Amino acid sequence: MLDHRLCNIHDHGMLILRLLNSLPVFWILLSIPAILLVGEYWAGETIAMDMLPPTGEFSARFMIIALMVTPLSVIFGNRLWIGWLVKRRRSFGLAAFGYALLHLVFYLIDMEALEPILAEFWAPGIWTGWAALLVFVPLAVTSNNLSMRFLKRGWKRLQRLSYVAALLTLAHWLLIHDGFEGALAHFVPLLLLELLRVIIIYARRNNMTKQQDSLQPE
Amino acid sequence: MKYSAIAVAAAVLVSAALSAPAFATGKMSCEAGPQSGWKTRAELEASLVKQGWAVKKSKVDGGCYEVYGTTPEGDRVEAYFHPVSLEKLLVSRRGEILFRKK
Repeated sequence: MLDHRLCNIHDHGMLILRLLNSLPVFWILLSIPAILLVGEYWAGETIAMDMLPPTGEFSARFMIIALMVTPLSVIFGNRLWIGWLVKRRRSFGLAAFGYALLHLVFYLIDMEALEPILAEFWAPGIWTGWAALLVFVPLAVTSNNLSMRFLKRGWKRLQRLSYVAALLTLAHWLLIHDGFEGALAHFVPLLLLELLRVIIIYARRNNMTKQQDSLQPE
Repeated sequence: MKYSAIAVAAAVLVSAALSAPAFATGKMSCEAGPQSGWKTRAELEASLVKQGWAVKKSKVDGGCYEVYGTTPEGDRVEAYFHPVSLEKLLVSRRGEILFRKK
């Protein structure tokens, strides 16, 4: 009887944990910064101009995390937390796009009119941002199972555009205004992980060819 | 595994070193003496508005006053002013210099 009740409590606990660890709850977590930021703006505590750095940074942050998943799995192999991240990679990528859209909305509000937007369009720090957003669109639109099934092997090739989006985002951040340190602080870790990924893949390949060579009869 | 520990440590170190706050952007600097001798930002903003500017925001950067807004010509810019003389020093639009005091 008592055992049964304990078991029940245990089941409930597991259920709550599983719920907390579910994707919908994760989406809510990802949207909390946006809710707080937009809340501040609605309350009149900030102006549109001051919404640009935080929305852009969260977009870049989530994009970087999404991109870190592959190098991390190459480096650390099959682990529980890697699996956890892999399951949430799409959420991170879509969140990055969402924050980029929010970034655009506040840019439009801040600039007020088309004329000043066009006047600064070709500034290096500006067109790179537009380009990054443009590259983001097909990535976001195809971030669903249906597209994966439909595009087959082309899906992976298409999603590799995320590296282009990352480079454009980095350029945008470096070239716009006062963003130099912040941009490097975000992108250098990703760069290091990618570097390590390449080194490891190269080392493994070398090992494999060596093994194959030693298996060959003399 | 050896690699990964090194990578994570390096990433953390680099991030920590780079995320030290930047107090001045280095785009302009003014030697204007103690702030007690400065005109107020409100005075600067009022005089700019009188000249036809629209001001979004102003702050101190590199010992100068930095203003975000729209010039009388309709350019959306970031501009620097001397905090004592309120003289216009630099006007730039996303890094493109529109005006620099000779």
